[in-house]
Amino acid sequence: MRPVPWQTGEICGPESAKSLTKSDVLKRDLGKAKKPLLIVGSQAIDEKHGKGDMVDYAIAISKAGNIPVVATGGAIKAFIEKGFEGAKSMGAMELASRLQDPDWKGPHGKGPHDMILIYGIPYYMQWTLLSAVMNFGTHLTAIALGRYYQPHANWSFPNMKEKQYHEILDEILALVGGGK
Amino acid sequence: MKKKAYFKADEAKTGLGVFKGLEVRIGQIVDDEWDEPMGPTPMPNPTKLRAWDHKLLTKYQPSYMPYCQVCCLCTFGKCDLTGDKRGACGIDMKGQQARIVLAAANLGCSAHLAHSRHLIDYLIDEYGPRTALIQGPGTEIHAPVTRLITGMRPRTLEDASIILDYCESQLTHTLSATNTGQEGSWMDFESKVFHVGMVDQLSMEIADLAQVSTLGFPQADPEAPLVESGIGMMDTNKAIILTIGHNIIPAASITDYITEKRVGEEVEVGGMCCTAWDITRRDPKAKVVGPISWQLRFIRSGKADVIVVDEQCVRTDVVSEAKKVKAPVISTSDKAVMGLPDRSDDDVDSIVEELLSGKIDGAYIPDHHKVGEVAVKVALAIKPRRRKMKFFPTKKQIQKMALECTKCSECIRACPNDQNVMEAVLAAQTGNFELLHAVYKNCIGCARCESACPNDYALHSWMAAIGEAECKDERYMVRTGRGAIQDTEIRNVGQPIVFGEIPGVIAHVGCANYPGGGQDVHDMAEEFAKRRYIIVTSGCAAVSAGHVRDENGQTIYERRSGEFDAGCVVNVGSCVANSHIAGAAIKIAAIFAKRNLRGNYVEIADYIHNRVGAVGISWGAMSQKAASIAAGFWRLGVPVIVGPHGSKYRRMLLGNPDDERAWTVYDARTGDRVVTAPGPEHLFYAAETVAEANVMTAKLVLRPNDTGKGRSIKLSHYIDIHEKSYGFFPEDVWKYIRRDTDIPITLKDKILAQMKENKWKERRIPDPTLLKEQIIGGGK
Repeated sequence: MRPVPWQTGEICGPESAKSLTKSDVLKRDLGKAKKPLLIVGSQAIDEKHGKGDMVDYAIAISKAGNIPVVATGGAIKAFIEKGFEGAKSMGAMELASRLQDPDWKGPHGKGPHDMILIYGIPYYMQWTLLSAVMNFGTHLTAIALGRYYQPHANWSFPNMKEKQYHEILDEILALVGGGK
Repeated sequence: MKKKAYFKADEAKTGLGVFKGLEVRIGQIVDDEWDEPMGPTPMPNPTKLRAWDHKLLTKYQPSYMPYCQVCCLCTFGKCDLTGDKRGACGIDMKGQQARIVLAAANLGCSAHLAHSRHLIDYLIDEYGPRTALIQGPGTEIHAPVTRLITGMRPRTLEDASIILDYCESQLTHTLSATNTGQEGSWMDFESKVFHVGMVDQLSMEIADLAQVSTLGFPQADPEAPLVESGIGMMDTNKAIILTIGHNIIPAASITDYITEKRVGEEVEVGGMCCTAWDITRRDPKAKVVGPISWQLRFIRSGKADVIVVDEQCVRTDVVSEAKKVKAPVISTSDKAVMGLPDRSDDDVDSIVEELLSGKIDGAYIPDHHKVGEVAVKVALAIKPRRRKMKFFPTKKQIQKMALECTKCSECIRACPNDQNVMEAVLAAQTGNFELLHAVYKNCIGCARCESACPNDYALHSWMAAIGEAECKDERYMVRTGRGAIQDTEIRNVGQPIVFGEIPGVIAHVGCANYPGGGQDVHDMAEEFAKRRYIIVTSGCAAVSAGHVRDENGQTIYERRSGEFDAGCVVNVGSCVANSHIAGAAIKIAAIFAKRNLRGNYVEIADYIHNRVGAVGISWGAMSQKAASIAAGFWRLGVPVIVGPHGSKYRRMLLGNPDDERAWTVYDARTGDRVVTAPGPEHLFYAAETVAEANVMTAKLVLRPNDTGKGRSIKLSHYIDIHEKSYGFFPEDVWKYIRRDTDIPITLKDKILAQMKENKWKERRIPDPTLLKEQIIGGGK
């Protein structure tokens, strides 16, 4: 079944994200990506994953894949409190703008990035950020790692059941070399 | 100054006889008593200020986030505009997004402007065209926005009418630019967005000036009365008339009738949205029920015996909702007739009889003189039988109905704030209503959850029923709108604002589409008030700011003075009173810097942009009106922050802190190009969280003109809020240090280390301007 946006009115244009129902489908894109960037929004703090939360998951992904993290909406505080120093802070709207520039070096100066992995920003705000990326940041492959379908990404979970969602998140962590 | 005059009268008695349907046009009037020289741009057309707009739009480039990727505005389409595709008319994605932004700003401006036109026409009919416009004591520079834009000093209602003629002509032009085959450049669409925002600000000033002058409102009064607010304040022992919208005139006829007939002990009036502020400005015995988002919960509570709607932000299903609680509706505006039968020509008693009998659900009564009498008579007559009725389900009934929930999640998916309504319903199955109560606290009252529910549960009523006990405690004292800021107040604070010693002016304005409840507005306002910023409020944000009590039971308006001064909280009034916030910034340039205002828009905007640390925040921005209000501030160079839902306006105006060239200004003293820090860094910004908004607010008040002392005060707050909100010392402080005097003493070691690490070099503090012509000697 074709995935539909989680917030039912947030329908998209002619193009929409491919459905991410198995971690394997990301193998090729993750393998190809040379400089990915992990974007983590404020809601990651309150969302559980395994024994921790989605901030812990970001730290695990970052460490496993050597992927720099940018935290939005003040989520940076949670990273700092967990003793993780690899995250930088930016606004989601600042990111939406800067990601359109194919020469932007990113908040860590390690870019230009060719892929973003993103979750934790309020659904509708992430929707608009990804719309900017889809239309004007076409050098980027966008992978939405939130539970709900984000049509403007290249890959997105299709409003997945919670248990299955977290299982696939762990598989994606394994894909980048983590979770062992 | 030449201007045309026009007035009309249904009947005029003169020495020559009685004239019916009299209309008089006087060709030209010359304002030869004003010795201020006319500036370069009186009554600018849509391209006159284009060069200024392009300066701002180059510094703060639009970042588009297409909300819709097709265009469906003409029969060529729908056209797919994704990627680099163009539509059949030739427009590309950026152009289309800018076009929609302009359409939204036009819509917003049209609402204020039509409101203003209605007011002026009505007031001319009532009081005569020569009625004086008075902003209040201490406002010698009255109508600063009008002076700046038009070069006119509006002194009478007929002057106001002439200014609205100008506004209407400009709106027609900017609206026409959105038609297929007109404007094609995103930059020029955006310039017109600024233009219509400026026109909006002008029409708002005229509207408020006219009503303040004629309707007995507080006139630039820092001690405007505290009035009762909250659902719990409404006295159900009396008949209750609820007024919703923005236009005072019909509501005023109700309070006037109550006063005239001395029935205040039997009936009371409460308002929602901006009508609430304006009726309490006219009659402090009236009450502010709540912000726009409370409409549905209050209507469904059944407390209102009659509902009178005027215009703007009225729920369009008000008639069907009122019918559920057997409350008649009176619509009064030609913009929002709501499908009701026109009873303009009928006598009052027959309208009352039909409404009481239930023969009609409501009536359209555009004759405002009748509205008061009809509303009061119906309310008094219908109240006894309505008080016996119960409208909310009981907890037992909710629990029983909840058992049928199919767990489809549609209610959650429909909720703009992704509130877990379904979980709350499932908890209610077991008699646990805590989650429903939690949803109620953060609910913005849209009822989309109900529309989506396959079981047709009245979910919003369930939440409101659970929250009903708490409603009784929703009792607050809020300061009603004072109107303009006095010249004397500006004289006292102009210098500390421009030098940065009062760290900023923060205006909380706009709608109630909050991401997490209205308390956020209060908390943000209090955070900065206690730091001695000047806090200004208006509209629904002003209501929400006042709906929190401290441990002593006091609201922010009781705790803090209504003066325009450090640490005070100044409610200017309804949406149209937003113009006084712009007016205060404009008056700083006139009073403190002695700049001419008359038709001198660009110089003053440049002054404000580089010197006045003002920031607008519309945490719950929802409407097109909010968009046009923001646009008016953008053209003045004042940054605006919105809440996360504001990202749906589909474009931000963002600076690039890494692009040094974007932050150069002329030093007006020497003509040199001088690099400054990114300040203000952005012009339009949606923040994801309150924490982010607070950090950004503290940053956006920075201006190139800050003195060393001012800069160090502003940086102290920025650093403190950043550390508190984000947990670390901001990494960009060094960029804002020009000289040692800018460094906050208590943080010197950390900042010096950061400066060293970034190879900081001393910079001069310029007399900043973006305009070559402002360089002494004209920049030649």
